[in-house]
Amino acid sequence: MQDVFIGFTSITWKMLVMYGIGGILIWLAIKKQYEPMLLLPIGFGSILVNLPLSIAWEHDGIPGFLRILYEAGIANELFPILIFIAVGAMIDFGPLFRNPLMIFFGAAAQFGIFATMIVATLLGFDLKTAASIGIIGAADGPTAIYVANKFAKDYLAPISVAAYSYMSLVPIIQPPVIRLLTTKQERSIHMPLHEKQSPQWLKILFPIVVTMTSGIVAPISVPLVGSLMFGNLIRESGVVERLSQVAQNELAYLVTLLLGICIGGSMSAEKFLNVDTLLILAMGLVAFIFDTAGGVLFAKLVNLFLSKEKKINPMIGACGISAFPMSARVIQKMANDEERGNIILMQAIGANVSGQLGSIIAGGLVLALVPLIIG
Amino acid sequence: MEFIDNIRNAGTTIQAIAVSIGGLLGVFATLAFFFLMILLADRFSKNR
Repeated sequence: MQDVFIGFTSITWKMLVMYGIGGILIWLAIKKQYEPMLLLPIGFGSILVNLPLSIAWEHDGIPGFLRILYEAGIANELFPILIFIAVGAMIDFGPLFRNPLMIFFGAAAQFGIFATMIVATLLGFDLKTAASIGIIGAADGPTAIYVANKFAKDYLAPISVAAYSYMSLVPIIQPPVIRLLTTKQERSIHMPLHEKQSPQWLKILFPIVVTMTSGIVAPISVPLVGSLMFGNLIRESGVVERLSQVAQNELAYLVTLLLGICIGGSMSAEKFLNVDTLLILAMGLVAFIFDTAGGVLFAKLVNLFLSKEKKINPMIGACGISAFPMSARVIQKMANDEERGNIILMQAIGANVSGQLGSIIAGGLVLALVPLIIG
Repeated sequence: MEFIDNIRNAGTTIQAIAVSIGGLLGVFATLAFFFLMILLADRFSKNR
């Protein structure tokens, strides 16, 4: 008789909390449209895995479909790599080639990764876990998953949720930080638009050189950089348009769907509901704030050395994070709000695609440096 | 190598600071290389 009611009798308060969290994620996805393609499957996956007996994950020692997918795509890092191929096929480096100076904001806005890593060690996390938490500041879900999977598997779920949630909250997080660090006059700076077209051979050579350089500087970053650049080479080669379209659409959507539900599936109450999760979520926010501040302050520093007509709108610095194209859109909207008709979108996109490069290079360097330091 | 050994024996926060300095310098240096590459490509395409 007990078996009939086992579904009711095995519900714990932690499971109920997880249903609430899953519900909130689904609500954010549907009602607020915050990263719906990810938060919706993550939310539903988190409910699935916390249902009584957790049949979707494992039952009587037999893996359920969530665990099978998890081991096939997350545990071996396949899904993040496939996502990178798709993302690479979506990136147009043209705006960066027209404004090459923007590339440095892709480096400056990685400041949040490292500042948060230091904060995490002060809170008592070991170096590998701290590095994985800091990587939330890459504002790049697949990189965060990739690094967390290598360094802190137990924290994969909260790190992924934090990374994707804060990426969707860029329009809320960045503007107040930017306003705090800039004057109205700085936010109203106009930037000249460069109309020159980049040569096709540069667009083709760029992904190859980036892959080779990254592979030499930090060989461990090759899966990350290589897959992103492979996707970009498919796009820019111009001879495999169908492959490029498949990577940008079918591959991206299918892997995103599976990635989302797998992350949700890893959010079991026992692993997710603890103080560390709250700390990780809080530090994720810190990372995004530091990223934004790092980019803006770097732009202000650069402005000290530029003539009046060449000055950079410091808001551009905030676009150096990897959240593409959301960050660029937010900055363009802010520029327009400050002064109607001030168009800095192309420069913002240039900085934003640099952020995508910067984040994976930072991820690769963290993967290379942490084991070197730990010994 | 002695420098790295010293960091290995240091506390976790010092190790994090070392990774941060190395990481930031690495990102800037790598992107600076790409910057030069784009500039050179631009010059080269103008001269053709």
